[in-house]
Amino acid sequence: MKSRNIAAAGIAAFTTAALLLTGCSGGGGGNSGDNGDKAAATTGTLDFYTDKAAWEPDFDELNATSKDAVDISLNTTGYSDAAQYDAFIKQSFRTQKSPGLFTWHTGDSLKQLVDENLVAETTDLWSKAIDEGWATEDLRDEYTFDGKQYCVPMNIAYWVMYYNKNIFQEQGIDVPTTWKELDAAAAKLKDAGVTPYYQTSILFTFQWFQQLVAGTDPELYKGLSTGEVKYTDPEIVDIMNIWLDEQKKGWFSDAGSTTDPAVGLKQGDFAMINFGSFFNGSLDGAGMVSGEDYGMFVIPAVNADLDTTPVAVESGPLCVAENSKQKDLGLAYSEWWMSPDAQTAWNAARGDVAFNPKATVKDPMLAELGKTVADDKHTLFTRYFEATPTPILTVALEQFGAFNANPGDPMPFLEAIQAEADKYWAEQK
Amino acid sequence: MAVLQTPAGERAARGLDQTPGRPGRRSRKTPYQGSARGFIAPGVFLVAVLLYLPLLWTTFLSFTEYNGLGDPAWVGFDNYVEMFGDPAFVGALMNTLLWVAGTLVIPVGVGLALALLTWNLPGGIWLRLPFLIPYAISGIGVGVIWSFILSANGALDQALAVFGVTDPPRWLVDAPLNTVVMIFASSWQGVGVNALLFTIGLQSIPKEPLEAARVDGATGIRLFGSILWPMLRPLTAVVVGLSIVASLKTFDIVLSMTKGGPGRASETLALTMYRETFVNSDYGLGSAIAVFLSVVTLIASVLYLRQQLSQKHEM
Repeated sequence: MKSRNIAAAGIAAFTTAALLLTGCSGGGGGNSGDNGDKAAATTGTLDFYTDKAAWEPDFDELNATSKDAVDISLNTTGYSDAAQYDAFIKQSFRTQKSPGLFTWHTGDSLKQLVDENLVAETTDLWSKAIDEGWATEDLRDEYTFDGKQYCVPMNIAYWVMYYNKNIFQEQGIDVPTTWKELDAAAAKLKDAGVTPYYQTSILFTFQWFQQLVAGTDPELYKGLSTGEVKYTDPEIVDIMNIWLDEQKKGWFSDAGSTTDPAVGLKQGDFAMINFGSFFNGSLDGAGMVSGEDYGMFVIPAVNADLDTTPVAVESGPLCVAENSKQKDLGLAYSEWWMSPDAQTAWNAARGDVAFNPKATVKDPMLAELGKTVADDKHTLFTRYFEATPTPILTVALEQFGAFNANPGDPMPFLEAIQAEADKYWAEQK
Repeated sequence: MAVLQTPAGERAARGLDQTPGRPGRRSRKTPYQGSARGFIAPGVFLVAVLLYLPLLWTTFLSFTEYNGLGDPAWVGFDNYVEMFGDPAFVGALMNTLLWVAGTLVIPVGVGLALALLTWNLPGGIWLRLPFLIPYAISGIGVGVIWSFILSANGALDQALAVFGVTDPPRWLVDAPLNTVVMIFASSWQGVGVNALLFTIGLQSIPKEPLEAARVDGATGIRLFGSILWPMLRPLTAVVVGLSIVASLKTFDIVLSMTKGGPGRASETLALTMYRETFVNSDYGLGSAIAVFLSVVTLIASVLYLRQQLSQKHEM
């Protein structure tokens, strides 16, 4: 009797523990296909994780092309919450399920992974891409750490000014080519009862600061990202006062509005919005037609004496985990991804500018933008989001958001950012 | 299982067969001790892995610097010093206290009032029912709905415009107004369930003392103050206790309505914890805030319940 009870209890405990352990270890689902003995496989199904959940159909659409070209299909898992996604990826490096391919961020975030040897080196892929003319050396710099490359560019976006063509036409405004003309356009719009610019108090709060600083003095902008320039320096305060002056003139939309910015531009809540060139997709989704309902232009430099017009650029990487069981498969896909065929197909699926100059860009306006920023009258600079270390960025986004919501003396906002910057740079020494 | 249901089994399991004055037998195993341990092992394992281990790990992390990659580096009390020295943390603490006060006054107060006004009414359930419906929605859902209402040019602003109010307050932008309106939004969800709990409490009060009080001429506020309120105290203790704990960890509705902004104007402690841990990848500081929040919640609960229990004994 007693032994039977003990046996029953033992079986109960063992079964429960077994179920628990099975549940814990089986978290990745059954789609990891090419793991285990197929570690070195370079064809098959590649597990791909991204924080761009909305792009999942576009990645799926690309599968037909990649299957034909290199016999690799993506099994895409999209996260819609960036913070949750980042935590998941970081945790995955400690498990057997580190991803064969995943999206990440350039700048400080990528450096953290490289410093810990968590991402696979892609120097060979980049060498081939540069030799073939598939990518520019400027872009390679974004992916270079101690002379080696890690990850490949998933996409590239230039930060430009989108405008509502109908409003510009109604008000008789031509596309501005100088900062003065842009100011004149904003004043004219305001007089006509149209809010010139979009702004928000959450997340995308940095772009006007970025534009004003880089457009005034690119070296000043660079100094902020290296800690050589303080946010409280007089030059930055002067720039913030330009922004404040524009705020006082009522040139910016309500920072508290939750209206989708694409819808806002369409319905004329504001006439212009400074955004990345991926915004085409949102505007098309809102029912606007590229080149007919909306247009875009490179924002003129504040400082007319600059030799070239600075244009902010961002690039999101596709990375392969160093300890992934699908490392070879991920690198094989990465190599194909950089080719003109892949980028042409991706551009057709997603509708974006292409980092590969040899790819065909479907949207004529985006194709034109790609050519414009590549000429000798423009200089690319890294977007504030990637150029700024994460802890400083977090505070800056919040402070710029607070400034947008309640514009006033810029010093308290700048002091809050500088306090975080002081702390960060002190820790780096 | 059947064995344990027998009187002998029960006695054995509870140790009742151990005779006082014979301490030597205390350490002797009963026939069912081994199997009992086997049965509780899965539960103990789950509690240890899912509750105690994360608690210990979080406490350990709060004394380290850790960005989620590599290994945590021991920094002693640095995170706690940094936490208390950060003005934004103090702001979040004040906002959290405002949430505690607000959710005590509105959802609990209005819930009690609603229960009192309807519990004796024929068809009172139909008056309480609409208040219960929002309880079916998640906190994020409530936040999304109220964002539509309270955002600039949202439903409320448009309704006010009909009455000629062309320059309404910026509900979700100006602090502390944004926290206050979010407390109202949260209350919209919480009133119904509190009213339900108080109604259950009122219905469980014995009729005799109520009738005796009425015979003595007690009505209205006198009846409430002398009879209903004291007899509702055990239930009130639970409702208020739950409300305090829930408000101390306010997160979802703020995240969905303002994300703690503008700036950090409407941030609560739970949001600060999330921000430091998952946005800034400063797991050490985030863990320090988590430990602080847990300790505050624990102290508040213990102090409150101890006071309530001591009052109960005095009665």
